[in-house]
Amino acid sequence: MSPNGNGREVGAVLVIGGGVAGMRAAADLAETGLKVYLVESTAGLGGRVAQLGFMFPTHDCVLCRGSADHGYGCTRPSISPAFIDRNRHPNINVMTLTEVIDFQGQAGDFSVTLRRNPRHVDVDRCINCRLCSVVCPVKLPSEFQMGMAFRKAAYKAAPRAIPDAYVVERGPYCDDCGKCVSVCPTGAIDLDEQPWTEEIKVGAVILAVGYKVFDPTPLEEFGYGRYPNVVTPMQYERLASRSGPTEGIVARLSDGKLPKKIAWLQCIGSRDQEHPYCSSICCMFATKEAMLAKQRIGEEVDCRIFVMDERAFNKEYTKYYQRAQQTHGVKYTRCRVSAIREDPDTNDLILRYPAPPDPEKPEVSTELVEERFEMVVLATGVEPPARSAELARMLGIDLNEYGFCETDKFQPLQTSQPGVYVAGAFQSPKEIAETVFDAAGAAGEVMRIYHDALGGSPVPREYPFLGQVDDLPPERDVAGEPPRVGVFACGCGPVISHVVDVNQVATYAGSLPGVVHSATIPFACFPEGVAQIESAIAEHGLNRVVLAACSHRTHESLFQRTVRKCGLNPYLLEMTNIREHCAWVHDWEPAAATRKAKELVRMAVLRASGMTPIRRTPIRPFQRALILGGGVSGMTAALTIADAGYDVTLVERSDALGGNLRHIYYLAEGMSPQRLLRDLINRILGHHRIDVLTRSELTGLSGSLGQFRSQIETRAHSARGGGGEGEASTTEVECGAIIIATGGREGSTRSYLCGQDERVVTQLELEDWIAHQPEKVAGLEHLVMIQCVEADEVGYFYCSRTCCTSTMKNAIRAKMLNPDCQVTVLYKDIITYGFREQYYTEARRRGVLFVRYTDERPPLVEEADGRLRVKVSDPGLNDRPYLLSPDLISLSMPIVPSDRTAALAKLLKLPLSDEGFFLEADLKMRPMDFVSEGIYLCGMAHYPRFIEESIASAQAAAGRALTILSQDPLYIGGVIAEVEPLKCVGCLTCVRTCPFQIPELVYDRPGVGELGGHAWIDPGRCQGCGTCTGECPAAAIELVNYRDEQVLGEASWLGAWLPGDEGERQPEAAG
Amino acid sequence: MADRDNGFEPELTLFTCNYCAYMAGDTAGALRLQYPANVKLVRLPCTGKIDVRYLLAAFEQGADGVYLIACPIGTCHHVRGNERARARVEFAKKILDQIGLGSERLEIFFASGGQGATYAMKAAEMTERVRQLGPNPLRKMAA
Repeated sequence: MSPNGNGREVGAVLVIGGGVAGMRAAADLAETGLKVYLVESTAGLGGRVAQLGFMFPTHDCVLCRGSADHGYGCTRPSISPAFIDRNRHPNINVMTLTEVIDFQGQAGDFSVTLRRNPRHVDVDRCINCRLCSVVCPVKLPSEFQMGMAFRKAAYKAAPRAIPDAYVVERGPYCDDCGKCVSVCPTGAIDLDEQPWTEEIKVGAVILAVGYKVFDPTPLEEFGYGRYPNVVTPMQYERLASRSGPTEGIVARLSDGKLPKKIAWLQCIGSRDQEHPYCSSICCMFATKEAMLAKQRIGEEVDCRIFVMDERAFNKEYTKYYQRAQQTHGVKYTRCRVSAIREDPDTNDLILRYPAPPDPEKPEVSTELVEERFEMVVLATGVEPPARSAELARMLGIDLNEYGFCETDKFQPLQTSQPGVYVAGAFQSPKEIAETVFDAAGAAGEVMRIYHDALGGSPVPREYPFLGQVDDLPPERDVAGEPPRVGVFACGCGPVISHVVDVNQVATYAGSLPGVVHSATIPFACFPEGVAQIESAIAEHGLNRVVLAACSHRTHESLFQRTVRKCGLNPYLLEMTNIREHCAWVHDWEPAAATRKAKELVRMAVLRASGMTPIRRTPIRPFQRALILGGGVSGMTAALTIADAGYDVTLVERSDALGGNLRHIYYLAEGMSPQRLLRDLINRILGHHRIDVLTRSELTGLSGSLGQFRSQIETRAHSARGGGGEGEASTTEVECGAIIIATGGREGSTRSYLCGQDERVVTQLELEDWIAHQPEKVAGLEHLVMIQCVEADEVGYFYCSRTCCTSTMKNAIRAKMLNPDCQVTVLYKDIITYGFREQYYTEARRRGVLFVRYTDERPPLVEEADGRLRVKVSDPGLNDRPYLLSPDLISLSMPIVPSDRTAALAKLLKLPLSDEGFFLEADLKMRPMDFVSEGIYLCGMAHYPRFIEESIASAQAAAGRALTILSQDPLYIGGVIAEVEPLKCVGCLTCVRTCPFQIPELVYDRPGVGELGGHAWIDPGRCQGCGTCTGECPAAAIELVNYRDEQVLGEASWLGAWLPGDEGERQPEAAG
Repeated sequence: MADRDNGFEPELTLFTCNYCAYMAGDTAGALRLQYPANVKLVRLPCTGKIDVRYLLAAFEQGADGVYLIACPIGTCHHVRGNERARARVEFAKKILDQIGLGSERLEIFFASGGQGATYAMKAAEMTERVRQLGPNPLRKMAA
């Protein structure tokens, strides 16, 4: 750790695992000026998520939405353009094919030894021409396509792998024939490359090593590996993915036919003797896969899911589960199938399961039925990652009884080794959204403990990520100069030039108006090529550069850096793709390909001639965060930010801090929530950077990202002197970021005699009794608990996620207080996901009875002769009705958003979900962000969640806020839409059209005809899609870099082609 | 390769977004999928940026056919830019019918970044469709 130029320590962090969690954490850490080593054991980033084509519940691929950076195209398999090779964030060092082999030291000063395994291909010189793969004689199953396609030993994991290069696997199959070496046009392959070790010094470590999918091969009764039409979910995902071996056609592996009847078997490797936990994700992915079958193959496909409990427990998941049944007719059968048989003639699969209830035969049936399916997906569970035991030993961290990383409930991201954090499924099986929360949260924790080093290696985001600003000369002002365009046609060695005649293209380019220099380059992206461009810019006084080469997606930032280094604004570069879009797809017709390349160059020259410099505006963010809500989430976020060195104003509406935590007295896990409450409040009150405003609410907000101005109204204490009784005072708070932690509360109901009979209580009330009047509970003889009560406030049911575990906790306590008490739980689905399954097991072990009911026949509660009576029918027992006479009924109430959530959302201009919770930018990839940057979300304001989940989400929101607060300056604007006020008629078309609700009308300045009011688009929020510009009837909105005059002006390049065939009509022009 | 029966080689303009659709073109390249070299590409930040004026200008400037490729519905990076694009294409199609150019010369397709084959197929499909329709009549008028 050495101090950098500005005197701050340059901190470094090791992130192990290059999947979605590792990438999220690395991107956030890098933004705050910490150096990151991102270590990945395979040849590329992306992890498991890169293989998924669709995510529940939205069915999009959305990896491009992983960050707010835009303009770089889809970044799959990345979550931020910060990972694209030529655009790599300067603070991120990606190390693929790398493993940790030794680990020494302590928090703040770790010394880590890495083994770097050889790739045998120089990433900087690989041009993805694939020749090595063509000549390689070794054919192997493709891991990316889950063995359903082949690859060579010289291969690229996926078309858009990161790093964007091939790899030669010199495993036992490679016979060192050396054909790849001799065919490589750039000499990038070195078969003699040896593994080497490297030692790095870091202050903190984040473990994001993911999970292993359970391998069902040893379970011979399911025939996986023997029956071709029994597949794993990852295979199914690849079949359904548009980038899969069939471009999204789900076909049987035995005969390629589309299956008409598919079964999913749940809990394969979960909730069993070997794996006494729930894998948390399988219910949802099976539902998604069934819906995909309906959408891709046809609604007539019969999709059957054999499941014990459908665990759909996050935002909009309940609705998704209902849509699967009601809209798509996906059928759920409650049972656990124990074996699969195959019909060898058809490769169809035969399942035996208990006959569904028959109303004609009221007695309990033991009959089994057989049914034939054309494909069976084994919904395999989540296991600890492959090397976890070894890694744990090396890092000195504890594993829990299941082999996952041990964490404390109140420090969910902290391992037992100080300075080492964990994120994602290695902590506990979890889905993508929770993994992203964890990753951002672990990054937030690192920022907190490593606050001295924040900003140690700042990377201004004026042009992300062109490198350190002190390398760059001042920008030359080209305004007023006529265009002096230089055109460079890259041959990419033989790769482009063997199809496209690049000499002809360059000659043609030289004839175009405004072009003062044109030339060919053998390899533009190599240092020699870059040098050639640099010297030509200087020599010919170029003020626009056109590069006819490969994809802007992979290489634009490299050449933007090149022109910027020569003093030109990076937006004076235009790239046109004559490789992927020309040479590679027209190599049967070289003449036509050359003509197309010329036309593409003509278009690019015209476009470049109209380009103007684009600059982003620097602002200084206010060095303070505003946090709304003083519960466990708000307090955790406040402490994270304050410990990291920034001021916090914590606003709480009620009289005291604590939120719901004040009413939680014990936990299933056994820790004391009241101790946590005391600790948090003491730390908050003692922190010199935290101002607490209780009895306060946000009443006004202006400004945006980095510079918000808020009004906080505080009600006076009525008993005190000072302000008169009830009189309110208003405080102005300037802040750079806002965190919403307004939480939720227990909903209310009038059903089940709640509020009408004192023997009907809520789970919270029962918990209060257990904690404070245990004798009352000990005296109970029969306690009935009813799950999934609908809240009167919401009007429809959604899973509140925490109630099943609370029920287990209270049921176990009731049994402990009086083992003779009969406890009966009436439920629809028991949702004790992750390791919480153990409390369900424990409750059953203690004799708690579980009776399932359905939506169609909910339990009936009535009072008769002074006794409570409950009538319920279990469909698993032929719907035979039970009659219960409890002396107490406790209701699992749903959690609803805090009061006035809707009003707050309106004030902040943020959307709400159907359930009434705040709706984030993306349900999967950005659960703590809003499209409005600078505002973050955590805790139960997002959705009902456990304490540990609230803490992780609060650390995530705090970490995200720190990425804003630590930028000085912060840049806003760029390629965004701008309104010309004097043209605006205020018709609100843009307000309606914008997908992000950004345009608004402002009335203090004149619009068209000098009348008051025009539309205004916040440059800090605009996403630059241009959707409003395409619809504005007055053409008053322009998208920077795509202004009408640039697209529709004098240049005619949208229509007919100018170059003649084979260049015969072209004038000869010198470069 | 599509047939060349009537000997007419149409010139097409393709508008794509910067996300899925452009990526699908890159994927088609990476997979070396061959398609007719009759299509030139105009890249927009999002298909939501498409303007009816751009579509009409392309025909005015002599394009024989114009099509768009956007992210699949529901997966637009900008949430619903592709839906706006689809609506504008429908509107422009009406104008093309009214002025006698014919709405068949304009189309919108949807492809995800991995769908290189779809990208290539649409180029062939549009080339063949426009080849049957013949040259853009506006070209003759200009000549």
